[in-house]
Amino acid sequence: MIHKTLLDRMLEPGGLSVLFQPIFELKEEGWRLHALECLIRGPRGTNIEQASILFDYARKKREESLVDRACLTTVLKEAAKLPGEAHLCINVHASTLGRDHGFAAFVKEMAAEHAISHSRLTIEIVEQVPFWDGPSFSNTLEEFRSTGIQIALDDVGLGQSNYRMALYCRPDYFKVDRHFVQGSHKDVYRQAILESISLLARRFSARVVVEGIEMVEDLDATTSMGIDLVQGYLLSPPITGPELIEKGFLEGRIIFPREASHPVTVF
Amino acid sequence: MPHRILVVDDEEPVLFAMRDYFSACGYGVDCAQELEEALALIDNIRYSIVFLDLRLTGIGGVEGLEIVGYVRERCPWTRIVILTAGTTPEVEREAHRRNVDAFLHKPKPLPQLARIAYGLLETVNDTQNASRQNA
Repeated sequence: MIHKTLLDRMLEPGGLSVLFQPIFELKEEGWRLHALECLIRGPRGTNIEQASILFDYARKKREESLVDRACLTTVLKEAAKLPGEAHLCINVHASTLGRDHGFAAFVKEMAAEHAISHSRLTIEIVEQVPFWDGPSFSNTLEEFRSTGIQIALDDVGLGQSNYRMALYCRPDYFKVDRHFVQGSHKDVYRQAILESISLLARRFSARVVVEGIEMVEDLDATTSMGIDLVQGYLLSPPITGPELIEKGFLEGRIIFPREASHPVTVF
Repeated sequence: MPHRILVVDDEEPVLFAMRDYFSACGYGVDCAQELEEALALIDNIRYSIVFLDLRLTGIGGVEGLEIVGYVRERCPWTRIVILTAGTTPEVEREAHRRNVDAFLHKPKPLPQLARIAYGLLETVNDTQNASRQNA
């Protein structure tokens, strides 16, 4: 019996959609938008609407590159509709960077098509399975770097996002998974890991982003360690482009002003 | 939390009927038409029962049983029911060797499947209770 596969449905026009989750930076006045992580959602009403299942499906079909290209195209098309010049973080599999030799050129071509400058882009490297094609992977990253596109390493401390990956990526950002962040205010072991990653990032001349901030106490704890880039539901869940505009984040709206000990913005 | 069931079959009418019937029985039901889709779901969600047709697009027979080990590795207490047609005694023997919980030949009336599911879920509850007590 012939039927449309999920992959077919994903690649149809309108098959993929994007949500943006703000990453905030601590400024003198309070927290202000630093960048947007672009989060893909699969076709509505299908098993792969949820991103984790979508990417797992793509990996199992060994179609990471095809899916990453489709996601990138969707993200840039949607981001081009936003006012301002917000920085964009786009998830890409390490295997795509290693095996798809035309991927860097594709990113540059798509960015040009949507009039998005390279300096606004960060490629966020995700990988859940063992993968290694060192030289090819490094060449692709070098091609990004030479054009001003930055590199982030996602899920630092979990799975394949390890020291070896850090060594080869030399990322501009270390993104720390929520596993190490949530509950860090009352856990000296989590604090030790966060401090260790902060030190590592400093030696790489990189910055740390902590993900999964849902409690003021964890926000305070990570801030007190000198981490000034945060992401999480406490500050903002993933939202659509119009919601992003409505909330004023793209215009530099400050949330959690320094004077206040508690959030003044309720989502 | 209701038990969650995964139905893997490449025939859309089968998926539709199973989803409709088991949802009405109060279960959470996911369906997959492709092997990769099923594996991605199994990686991300813990199912109480997986109903599996051995003849998916591109695979069949003993090859279709590979998913049994995959499920067992990720969630040992998931019950596996093979629901298939046109199979051979060798495949059935191999399925039992791999400890599937039931091997059924299509077609089967939905109420009969529901009774089998109910019986297997009782054993899932027992296993879960035992693991909680031992934890």
